[in-house]
Amino acid sequence: MSELDLRLSTATAQDTGSFRLLELPPELCQIIESASEKTARWIFLSTTVTPSLFIKGHPTEDAVLCTSEKTYAVRSVVLSNTVLVVTPSRSDPDGTVHIRDQLHEILELVPVVPKLHKLSILLRDMEYDEGDEDRQATMPKYSYDQARSEIQASEAEFSRGLKDRRILILEGQLRPIAPAHLSTILELLLNYLISLSLSYQAAVVEELVSVLADEHEIPRAVSNQVISWFGDVKDGLWKMDADAVIRELGIGILRHHRHNPISENEFLKKWKNVVGDTFESSVKLTLLSGDYLRNLSSIGEETTLTYFPSSALPVDPAARFVELFLTRQRWKHEEIEHFLLDIAVNSKERDKLLLKHARALTDSEGVWYTARVSYSN
Amino acid sequence: MVIDVSISLSNTFNPKFPSCVAKLGHDELVLIELQGTLDIECDEDTTRDGQFVGKLNLKDANKPTLIIGHHLLEGKIVTLPKPLGVAHRKESSKRHDFPGDGDSSRSVEDTLSSSVSWGIVAVVKKKIVFSKRPMPIVNLGGSTQRGKV
Repeated sequence: MSELDLRLSTATAQDTGSFRLLELPPELCQIIESASEKTARWIFLSTTVTPSLFIKGHPTEDAVLCTSEKTYAVRSVVLSNTVLVVTPSRSDPDGTVHIRDQLHEILELVPVVPKLHKLSILLRDMEYDEGDEDRQATMPKYSYDQARSEIQASEAEFSRGLKDRRILILEGQLRPIAPAHLSTILELLLNYLISLSLSYQAAVVEELVSVLADEHEIPRAVSNQVISWFGDVKDGLWKMDADAVIRELGIGILRHHRHNPISENEFLKKWKNVVGDTFESSVKLTLLSGDYLRNLSSIGEETTLTYFPSSALPVDPAARFVELFLTRQRWKHEEIEHFLLDIAVNSKERDKLLLKHARALTDSEGVWYTARVSYSN
Repeated sequence: MVIDVSISLSNTFNPKFPSCVAKLGHDELVLIELQGTLDIECDEDTTRDGQFVGKLNLKDANKPTLIIGHHLLEGKIVTLPKPLGVAHRKESSKRHDFPGDGDSSRSVEDTLSSSVSWGIVAVVKKKIVFSKRPMPIVNLGGSTQRGKV
């Protein structure tokens, strides 16, 4: 039968407004289609595995859709046409179809960077430092579970975000570690690797954690988490990510030079001194990309460095470019790109931002970016 | 607030479409796009349920037609530029397992967030679009509905 009766739903009151159309980017479409295949298969094994998609956000925020890996902004696009959602009829499957809902919008999904920057603001007064156990009772609290449901980021991005921001989870509460204390712990770890003659490719975690707890009163929960941030732990063995440790120690030194530049040579000397003989050769400035500014010397002066962390820059692209161009009138492409990493999903997005907010100039030294408008005066 | 979006692409709407609709790519759900809106004259909400709207004819896959009242619409089948996921709100009463004697502000919030759950019930890649002006037809039994375009 090729002619069908088109009827309204048998329960219009209940159905109206209960459908939404989501425009699926290819990778999301793939996840959904493969997920449904999996569930179909898993039903036979009688296990319930629900592929995880979540819509997250406070009622006052723009909603995002999260897969286990990625975050998408949800935007409503109004249609001038009506789209009818039509399904078969239960009572007369061969001759009737029902209009379940009439829609005038579709929801567009656009990949975005996870909104993790809120974390540092929310956790401002909750820093974990050496010997602040007494302070704990009076401290404001923000729990891991609460953050997980409130922060607009996928599961993977959220745990990576905690790791990158050096946030400890202590008794279910989030506590960013004090930078100086973190440097101390890392220095201790490097020292003990040598004095206990452990290989940094496979160090016994238990041994390190015990010695830190016994001799320096660093809680096991803290050192365990610090160790897991800087490398992989497998079967109780720590494969240290040397570059990450060296970078963190470098930032620890540079952090004090936000407003008073340090000469490059002096900085490198200090840095090498801290990391010790074993890792001296791995010290290189590129490890700190996105966290420092290199001030080229005028004749007779030394090249100096200042601490300039991209994490402290505004998240809004326009505001960030204002700040970047106020700091420096023009930027090399290789330099500015490090300061845009955390606000663009990929290099294509980053170039779009550059195109929109900056003007490119090419001279003998390569491509320079300057401000589109003049901010000074 | 977290809203769960589950994925259950198969067997949501139990009976399947007859083959003439199913060959559009999805056997349980189809999207029909109309210019303008369907305007249905009804006194009470309940009389809308199951209300007859029109006749959909898909004999010729290249030329689907829809007859609403005295109007004939001719349409075409269009492949969507990007697949659309169809999300359906579920009336869930399953997550009320928190203790009832807890503080009321919390439980209200919990009920609100847990009562909304969405499921992606279909991924649709084609739609039927009726974009032309309706043609008036004669010699057909009258009906109370009118498609205003």
